[in-house]
Amino acid sequence: MNTVAQEPPASDRRPLRFVAFGIAVIIGISGLSARLFYLQVSQGVQYAQIATQNRTVQQAIPSTRGLIFDRNGRALVQNEPSFAVKIRPVDLLLSQRDAVVARLADLLRMDPADINASIDENPGSRFDLVRIAQDVPRDVADIIAEETLALPGVEVDVETQRQYLDGTLMSQILGYTGAIDAAGLAKLKDQGYLSDDLLGKAGVESTYEAQLRGTYGLETVERDASGRKLQVLETNKQPVAGDSLQLTIDTHEQQLALKALTWAMKTARLKSGVMIVVNPQTGEVLAMVSVPTYDSNKFATGISQKDFQKYAKDPNQPMLNHAINEQYPPGSTYKLVTGLGALSDGRITPTTVIGSHPYILIGATRFWDWNRAGFGPLNIRSGFAHSSDTFFYQVAQRLGITRLAFWAHQFGFGAPTGIDLPGEAAGIVPSDNWKQNTFGQPMFEGETVQAGIGQGYDVATPLQVLNAYCTVANGGRLLKPQVVRQVIGPDGNVVRPFKPILIRKLPTSTSNLVVMREAARQVVTSHHTYNLVELPIPVAGKTGTAQFGVKDAQGRLPFHEWFVAFVSKSGNFARPDSQLAVIGFAENANTVGNVATEMVKYYLQLHFKLKVDKRLPYLLRKGNFYGN
Amino acid sequence: MGVLRIEPARAQPWSPRSLAVIWRSFDLQLTIYALLLTSIGLAMAYSNSVESGGSLFARDSTFVRGLMWAGLSMLVFAIATAFDYAWLKTLAWPIYFTNLGLLAATLVVGSGVGGTARWIPILGLQFQFSELAKILMIVVLANFLASRQGKLDSIWSILGACMLVAPALVLVMLQPDLGTSLVFVAILGGMLFMSGASLRWLGLLAAAAVPASYVAWTYLLRDYQKARLLSFLDPSQDIQGAGYQLYQSQIAVGSGGLFGKGLTNGTQDSLNFLPVQTTDFVFAKLSEELGFLGAVVVFALFVALIWRILVCAWRSRDPFGLLMASGIASLVLFQVVVNVGMVIGVMPITGIPLPFVTHGGASLISLGLGLGILQSINMHQARAEW
Repeated sequence: MNTVAQEPPASDRRPLRFVAFGIAVIIGISGLSARLFYLQVSQGVQYAQIATQNRTVQQAIPSTRGLIFDRNGRALVQNEPSFAVKIRPVDLLLSQRDAVVARLADLLRMDPADINASIDENPGSRFDLVRIAQDVPRDVADIIAEETLALPGVEVDVETQRQYLDGTLMSQILGYTGAIDAAGLAKLKDQGYLSDDLLGKAGVESTYEAQLRGTYGLETVERDASGRKLQVLETNKQPVAGDSLQLTIDTHEQQLALKALTWAMKTARLKSGVMIVVNPQTGEVLAMVSVPTYDSNKFATGISQKDFQKYAKDPNQPMLNHAINEQYPPGSTYKLVTGLGALSDGRITPTTVIGSHPYILIGATRFWDWNRAGFGPLNIRSGFAHSSDTFFYQVAQRLGITRLAFWAHQFGFGAPTGIDLPGEAAGIVPSDNWKQNTFGQPMFEGETVQAGIGQGYDVATPLQVLNAYCTVANGGRLLKPQVVRQVIGPDGNVVRPFKPILIRKLPTSTSNLVVMREAARQVVTSHHTYNLVELPIPVAGKTGTAQFGVKDAQGRLPFHEWFVAFVSKSGNFARPDSQLAVIGFAENANTVGNVATEMVKYYLQLHFKLKVDKRLPYLLRKGNFYGN
Repeated sequence: MGVLRIEPARAQPWSPRSLAVIWRSFDLQLTIYALLLTSIGLAMAYSNSVESGGSLFARDSTFVRGLMWAGLSMLVFAIATAFDYAWLKTLAWPIYFTNLGLLAATLVVGSGVGGTARWIPILGLQFQFSELAKILMIVVLANFLASRQGKLDSIWSILGACMLVAPALVLVMLQPDLGTSLVFVAILGGMLFMSGASLRWLGLLAAAAVPASYVAWTYLLRDYQKARLLSFLDPSQDIQGAGYQLYQSQIAVGSGGLFGKGLTNGTQDSLNFLPVQTTDFVFAKLSEELGFLGAVVVFALFVALIWRILVCAWRSRDPFGLLMASGIASLVLFQVVVNVGMVIGVMPITGIPLPFVTHGGASLISLGLGLGILQSINMHQARAEW
């Protein structure tokens, strides 16, 4: 219809609007240029710095953890490279979490609940790695590494993990390493601990953490936005390997102690027991066994919730070292404190004779001797040998609670021994002061006499009891027990040599100590300990039967059994020359005879390689109260 | 209007002389500016391919795909240039409904990131029809407004244009693609303004947009969209969340300095701190590697390009041509300001590409089509006075 002759309607050009549009273009582009100039030219240097920080991170280079040897140089632990699977929570989207956890659980053969627990208990921030599994087999690690895209936030790392070579044998002493928790991280972050760090959590792994760990190095790493490490740009600081430990523990003695304890527990059907062997001259712990125990390797490889709950819910508390973490009434072993205290204070002399009776009366209450008959007139030696309760009630009355408490503290009761293991219990030494603070009233006389025989409020750890006897055995020196002999630097030089650590000298005379050693020997020679005297070695000791808990239907209390012994080197107990002290402790024993004596006897037979076997299994039947 | 409207210039046999006339009407400058911008985009794609470490000429490298899209775009440009734009007036309504159909199809079969539907696979390539929709919408609007010549003082012209845009806008919003819908609004505004529509009514409409945007903010936008929109105000508030892209983008830009780190030497992008570095955030990569000077060159090219487009608008005796060019000028200006503004932290993140430079097939082909139409407008009418 139209042709070019007929122009199409002329366009309605508005020059002003063109100008306006042009101005809009100029304003827009100028604004952008100005902002760009500000960012790139005015602020360029700052942004360049940020960009550099953005792509580089400084990250720690783990140091090689120190090793642990027994006193003969036998390795107890080694460092094993292992694959660990970790998650960076910030990269794991909530919507994908269930699928990723399910896939990981399938690959790692773990309970998804364990994985979720690890993520939720993440000690660091959401940007820090959380350890999910350790000790992952190579093929599984390879699969996970290949499935990176399907497993966002999941990383596979190589790290070294502890392998404890003797399984459960040393677990209470060595402890274990494990992943740091939130509380630990908060405390240790300033010392360079990382959110996915491993650290010693029990035993010497914990007490000597600072020495074993060494010093982490530092490197500058180029990373991409997802945090992947691309290359090491610079090593800022080389890591320094940790120091190694040489324990005082003798693996062989530990095995013997375990063997003796296991036999006694099996025969007497015990649930829990302790044996400790110490050199009284130095305070070196040669063996320390607490049964039941745990497997250090389970913790070191990342314990599952199921296994952990099994340990945690066990009424016999395998995670505790009963030798030092638990406290029990010391029973008659405590008569050492009462006796030496009274001698030293001059309340009795070695020849003072006191009549023992079926019971003594305090007010209207009868305090019975253990045999319910008494032993007639006794002096300190015979009273100790027979473990007469009425004799020691009267000695305690003469000494008084304040002095009894004083002497108990002198022996190291009521305070941790200071052994280089974590979580030591202090025990309780009752006194007027203590009872006033605890119950708001003074000690009654009946409680004082109970305290004199290690009952009532008295509680102590097996190590405290043993250490008290060591003090007598070595001539009055209360030493700090030690499980680490030497700290050895990575170059093999001894960083900290062994030396005995004296806590105090007992403020008593040599002759009083001789009396108590001879009294302890008389416990054995008087056949109070049955046939122990028949062993061809000069052993002295003291039994204890300590009631605890609630009475049964017949009005009888359950009881623990103790036997603490030391062997004279010369055979002459006038000399403080013992180099071997042993304590056996049977928790909730309730046997006809003293299990603890039998287990110590068996240990001594094994230790001295005796051909005779004087064990009396019939004493280990369950039965009635037999005596102190 | 007749269906056949063959103009004499076309009907005459092509003689050297008429070819020369036509060639003189071809805006070489416009084409060169566009080509230069496209080359800069290809340089960025090249840089990205080198940095990501793969083979530069691998079939699926960013660079190879960029070359392919650029080639296709030039082909489309050439065809559109040769094609008489007058046909577009005839075909306006079919084009309009095809456009809506494509947008609707995108909603149904499209795929995207995070529950969106933006791309449709064609021959193994992802194609974003909302980019093409921008150009097609300009064609339709130009036709409509040209037909309302003389009645542009009326509110009905303005409302009619709005009604035309509305269905496409809703379809794009549903994808959801906030950025493209804002581009529609910008095109509409720019074309109405240049058409000579009543400023009074336009002002009223703009005033009405304030409560409308409040309603949209409250009822239409999703939380992630709001977070992205607001994060530009203070990216450090939420560095690992919505502010992350902005923060990293500003670091990239700022660290480029005056001269840049050099092509392929950017660290922000090669280590992937910079998100979507060949598409929405290509300008951040460009500023990091080519510096302030490189960015200014790009700005200069855009200003020159828009100038040539406006020249085309001015020369066009046909209101359709004026409006078509105005629409494309508005599109380019708006996208440049919003995209660069986003990268340098003065505009919200909306996912709008930088024309020609952003690596993306649909955007490049659509622009090729748009510029082709402009060249057709230049060439298929008698020479303007300058």
